[in-house]
Amino acid sequence: MSDVKPPAEDGGLEVNVVEAVASRSHLLKRATVAGGGVVVGGLLVAGLPKVAASAPSRAQDVRILNYLLRLEYVMTAFYETAAAEGQLSGEIEQFVSVVGEQERKHVALLQEILGRDADPEPAVDFGDRTNPDRVAETAHTLEETASAAYIGQGANLTKGVMIDAARITSVEARHAAWIADILQRHPAPAAADPAKSPKQVVVAVRKLGISISG
Amino acid sequence: MQRPSSNTPGLTLEQLDQDGAIQEGISELYGSTRADFLRKAVLGGGALIAALSVPPEVKAAAASDVRIFQFGLNFEYLQSSFYTETDRLGTIDAMAPRKAHWARTLGAHERAHVAIIKKVLGPAAGKRPFFNFRGNTETEDRFTRTAVAMEDLTTALLTGLTPKLQDQGLAAAAFSLMTVEARHAAWARHLVGVVPVASAFDEPKSLDRVDRIVAGTRFISTLRPRTTTSGDPRFTG
Repeated sequence: MSDVKPPAEDGGLEVNVVEAVASRSHLLKRATVAGGGVVVGGLLVAGLPKVAASAPSRAQDVRILNYLLRLEYVMTAFYETAAAEGQLSGEIEQFVSVVGEQERKHVALLQEILGRDADPEPAVDFGDRTNPDRVAETAHTLEETASAAYIGQGANLTKGVMIDAARITSVEARHAAWIADILQRHPAPAAADPAKSPKQVVVAVRKLGISISG
Repeated sequence: MQRPSSNTPGLTLEQLDQDGAIQEGISELYGSTRADFLRKAVLGGGALIAALSVPPEVKAAAASDVRIFQFGLNFEYLQSSFYTETDRLGTIDAMAPRKAHWARTLGAHERAHVAIIKKVLGPAAGKRPFFNFRGNTETEDRFTRTAVAMEDLTTALLTGLTPKLQDQGLAAAAFSLMTVEARHAAWARHLVGVVPVASAFDEPKSLDRVDRIVAGTRFISTLRPRTTTSGDPRFTG
């Protein structure tokens, strides 16, 4: 394995992009939230550990779970908005209905684990992403991003909480594969799924033109 | 499960791969050298590379971690052999292109998982057991039904085992594999017209539970090393 080199720390190129974006503070609003965490771009909780890089603790659990909860809030709101706008049909309509309900349950479980430490739901502007012809493509990016976000943080949680994270992680991956197959994209593009760092997650969501505040 | 015929042959991957077809397949997908294959198989999965590139980690890891990965390896052996045998028998060739693509992708991934876990375990890696899939690799219908069940079961297994790993790097690597099995399961279900996500949460299954389920299929003839040898002739071609 000596010729297998670890990747550039924290994922390489994309991170450089987000650093450049982050330096323009008018683009990425910062806010202090419950537990003293700092939210950047509506999603990223500053100070989250890298993959398998920090000893688990309850305080760290709170930061990680709030970061994941925010992603679940965004997905839940996305499917609710898409469904409310109507005009969906066929399998996309079924996907939005089934998956939207499941994301709501993820929100509920994370809120339950966090208790009083749970962040409130942010306001999200989806732009034209909930237009019927953009729903599937947007859902695919969101689900892939969520799955990679859980992979990136799952092992940093304390054991009791990691079990619940694992039960959600595999479901996010199922969502990603389902919507990929609907779109005739690759449902399982790699033998091992790469993790995304919080910064990469923020970039992926921002690229969709989705803005999150609060 | 189909009653076994007394003269159903057992197959091993080594026997199947006498002409190097599987290695060739891996090379096509992942590049010509093993190192290159591994590098591409993880596709930037920092977690996995971290776990793989620090071999002492698994040596120093808790005995329970080694046991978990050994069981995981046996399960990956089971899956990879199942897909490889199905391909070898021509069952995949007879499928529609979209379905054949699915079946071959799953086979390639499971073979990659075997390589990855063997690398993680090093000398602690067990040998590939003998398998008898009892006709389930021979027709598209039986293959598909078995694959759906197998992928759902693997997802439940990894969901249950990942949080039990003591080593954080190994747990991170397990997350990267778990989602792939979940994708396989969802993809398989979608192909057969079943909702790919039955529930908001995947329910974990314990190692013992999965062990019993696998034992019930009688697919593995030597899940644990046996001291006696089978009198049955082994299938060689």
